[in-house]
Amino acid sequence: MLKELNPLLHSQLRLAVMSILLSVEEAEFVYLKEQTQATAGNLSVQLDKLSEAGYIEVEKSFVGKKPRTVCRMTSKGREAMAEYVEALKEYLPGF
Amino acid sequence: MEEKKLSERESLELISQMIHSTRKNLEVGSGNQFLYWGYFTTALSVLLFLLVYYTGDARWNFGWFTMFLFWGFMLWEQRRQVAEVITYTDRAIMQVWKVIGSLFVLTVLIMCLLTFCYGRVDFSLMFPLSLLYCGIGVSITGVVIRSRLVTWCPLVAFCFAIYMLMAYTIHQSSTVDWNLYFGLSFLVMMVLPGHYLNRKARQVC
Repeated sequence: MLKELNPLLHSQLRLAVMSILLSVEEAEFVYLKEQTQATAGNLSVQLDKLSEAGYIEVEKSFVGKKPRTVCRMTSKGREAMAEYVEALKEYLPGF
Repeated sequence: MEEKKLSERESLELISQMIHSTRKNLEVGSGNQFLYWGYFTTALSVLLFLLVYYTGDARWNFGWFTMFLFWGFMLWEQRRQVAEVITYTDRAIMQVWKVIGSLFVLTVLIMCLLTFCYGRVDFSLMFPLSLLYCGIGVSITGVVIRSRLVTWCPLVAFCFAIYMLMAYTIHQSSTVDWNLYFGLSFLVMMVLPGHYLNRKARQVC
């Protein structure tokens, strides 16, 4: 029987964010917005969901007077991504 | 990008597309740090050579301490322009250069301490030591970013450093020419790889 895909990761924007964070140590909100071409509001909502699940850490600070939001993947997020990719492979043998 | 459900195939394609585009973007301007340091050091070495050569006053060599001012300026600039994204490679390279920077500070502190204890010390030893420290830093950076040119360019600096250290063992003191050897080493060790990395980045994008 095929494993169920993690519903939190199986959505376009959240998966895109997790894939970016998988290949970098940390990324700013602006960078994620540019890479995913999402709106600020939508991205913000999806980051909150990933953060609530413990998949990413969101750090808010100021550089001078400018606000800065930095996102990092947690070890729990890394494990979830690994499991997700493993499950995907079962759905697509030979991909 | 809208919030929508994906097919399994689309998911895998999205993961590889995001990882690929992130890696591609990260290489832009990667040689700039080498270029700033390389050009500044080369220009300073020529300037100090000319000053010492034409005035005959070796005290101009204290001008090398402006390297620390330049370092401070570079740190201030880096804090002002915070990077949007930091990769594992960036982090590793930052750590390597932190250690190299600490070595410089430690060496100067020990030299100053010896000057205080013994009344005099030869700061010209900083020439070969700096070439070794920076050469090792550049080489490790080359290994981390997997660039053969960056890894091997510091060999020129190592040759000059060995020559300078050997000169001490046969009781030859430093000469004004060492300024030029130092500048030439930085030209090959940092300016050349800096331009190479930026050119490679432009080709990728």
